[in-house]
Amino acid sequence: MTTTTDSHLAVDFCGMTFNTPLVLLSGCVGFGEEYTRVRGFSNRDAGAVCLKGTTGQARPGNPPHRVYETPNGMLNAIGLQNPGVDWVVDEILPTLDFGETRFIANVSGSSIEEYQAVTRRFNDSPIDAIEINISCPNVKEGGVAFGNDPDMSARVVEACRRATDKPLITKLSPNQTDIAENARRCIEAGSDAFAVINTLMGMAIDIESRSPVIGNNQGGLSGPAIKPVALLKVHQVHQVCKPHAIPIIGQGGVTCAEDALEFLIAGASAVGIGTALFYDPLVLPKINLGIRDYLERHGMQSVMQLTGTLQLNTPAQQRCAC
Amino acid sequence: MNSNDNSHRDSIAVEEALILAHQAFEGDQYLLRVGAPQIAASARPGSFVHITCDRSRPLRRPISIMRVSAREGWVELLYKVVGEGTRLLARHQTGERLSVMGPIGQPFTVHPQRPRPLLIGGGIGMPPMIFVAESLQGDTRYRPFAILGSEAPFPFKPRPSRALVPGLDDEVIAAMPLLDDWGIPSRLTSQVARPGCHQGYVTDLARQWLESLDPQARGEVEILACGPHPMLEAVARLADAFDIPCQVSLEEFMACGVGGCAGCVVEVQTDNGPVMKRVCVDGPVFDARQVFPAA
Repeated sequence: MTTTTDSHLAVDFCGMTFNTPLVLLSGCVGFGEEYTRVRGFSNRDAGAVCLKGTTGQARPGNPPHRVYETPNGMLNAIGLQNPGVDWVVDEILPTLDFGETRFIANVSGSSIEEYQAVTRRFNDSPIDAIEINISCPNVKEGGVAFGNDPDMSARVVEACRRATDKPLITKLSPNQTDIAENARRCIEAGSDAFAVINTLMGMAIDIESRSPVIGNNQGGLSGPAIKPVALLKVHQVHQVCKPHAIPIIGQGGVTCAEDALEFLIAGASAVGIGTALFYDPLVLPKINLGIRDYLERHGMQSVMQLTGTLQLNTPAQQRCAC
Repeated sequence: MNSNDNSHRDSIAVEEALILAHQAFEGDQYLLRVGAPQIAASARPGSFVHITCDRSRPLRRPISIMRVSAREGWVELLYKVVGEGTRLLARHQTGERLSVMGPIGQPFTVHPQRPRPLLIGGGIGMPPMIFVAESLQGDTRYRPFAILGSEAPFPFKPRPSRALVPGLDDEVIAAMPLLDDWGIPSRLTSQVARPGCHQGYVTDLARQWLESLDPQARGEVEILACGPHPMLEAVARLADAFDIPCQVSLEEFMACGVGGCAGCVVEVQTDNGPVMKRVCVDGPVFDARQVFPAA
C-alpha cells in the first residue's frame, strides 16, 4: 500500500523534495531504522525522517519512568539519550538508506557553542537538513530554556546558521507567550523553516507515593490532547512565515488524514507524525491515502495547494476568545 | 543494529487478531487467546506482544506471551488488571478483534552446558516460564524445574504432582497440571496458605532445592526468572550466592515497543560503566548481574 510515487503528495520543502507531506518526528523513531522492524512499515511512506536529538557528547538520558499515558496523550522525559554527534555521523548515517526518504538531523545542546559545533559536524555529512531543537523541554544543564525566549532562540539560530548551508529548521516551543514573535526573530537570524510545535510541559502524580510518575518529575505532553493548541500555533506562525515563503512542519497529535489536512489548511507545508505511530505503526499509508482522496475530491493536483487555505470566520484579533 | 545488516527489518508483525477465548480468573486475572498466526510463527520464550487494549487509549500495553501454537496460529496471554488499559482490555469478548504487535524482544536462552534450567515465575511473571517449559517439552537434553509463586489464587487448578523433586519437603506437592502433563516438574508457593503449596517466597523453595543438589548438579543449573522487581532482585541475589548464571525478564512503562522512543529503559552495568538499555528490544530478558550488580 505504498504511496510514495504519487506526485500529488510530493512537497517541495526548502528545495528538498518530500515524497509525501508526512515527517516522522524526532524522538519517536530512533535513528531512522527502528520502525523498519515492523512488517509493512516503510520509511518510503514518509517524506522525511527526523533523527533522535543529538548532542556534542553522548548522554545517558533520564532515569525511568520516562513515559506515561495521560488522557488522549502521553508524557515523556527521555532526557536526550544519544551516542553523541561523532558516533551518529560516523557510525549511523552510513547505515541509512537515503534512497528511501530524506533524513533530518535534530540538534540539541546545553550552550550556543554546543549547538553550533553539532550543526557544523552534521553540515559535513550526508544529512539532508538540520532541525534545531531550541524548544527541548528536558535540557537542564546550563539552566536555560533557549526556546522560551525570542532573544535566546535567535542567538541559537544565528550560531547554527553560521555553521551550515543545509536547510535549517527551527522547532518552536509552545511553552512561551508569543510564538509568532519568536518565529519572526528566528527568521531574521536565518531559519529556513519551522517545526510547530514541540511538546507542552506537564506532570502526572502517583497519589499513593505522592511523587511525580515521571522520573524527571516533569515531561512533555504529546498526542491528540495537544492538537488544538498545535493547530492554533501553526496558524499564528504561518502569518509570520507567509510573506517570506518560509515553510512549516505542523505537528502535535496527528493521528489520521483529517488531522493532517487540518494542519495543512492552517498553514503547514508538511505534517509531523509522532505519538500516533505508537498506537498504529502502519498509520503512514493510511494518512497518505486519506490526503490523496481529499485532493481528488476537491480537484486539487498537489497537496501544496492546500497550505494556508484557512478561511477565517471573522478577523480573529478583533474578538475576545473567551 | 548500527550496521548495514538489515536482519532486524520486518521482524515484528501487526495483526488484527480475533479473540478466540477470554477467560476470567479470581484476582482480576485473565487468560486471553487470540488468532495471530504471524506472531505465533516466530515468537520465542520471553517474547512479548504490544497490544491495543482499547481504541480509546493512545498507548498499547506490553504483555508476555505464555503459549503459542504455530500450527493453529494462536497466541495465549495471561494478564492481570492493574490499571485503566488492562481494565478496558478485560472487557473485550470472544469474537472481537484486537490489534496485536509482536513478537518483540530478546528471548530467554537455555544452554546445553546448563541442562537443569530453574524456571522461577511470580504472579503475571509466570507466563514466560510456561513458554520456556513448553519449548523444552520432550527435549531429552534438559531437565527443567519450575517454581511458580502467586499471592492471588493461581489461574489454574493446582493438583498433586506426578513428578518427584528430591530435596523438597514431602508436603510441598502441588503443581501446575499443564507442566505436569508435559513431564516438567513444578512446585507452587504463596504467602497465603494453600494446600500442597510452600507458604513463603519462591526464593525459599529455590534455595532449598539448590542446597539439596551436589556441586556437579548445581553447576548444571541456570536460573530464568520473571516477576515483580523485588522478587527478581531476590532471585538475582540467590543466583549470586550459589554462583549460578541468571536471566531475568523486566517490565517498564512502554510507548513504541520497537526501540524508537527509548521510553522503557533500565540501567544496566557494562564493562564501560552503566548504560540505559531499552526493555523492549534490548530486553526484556537481561543478564541478572547486569541489572542487579553484586552488592
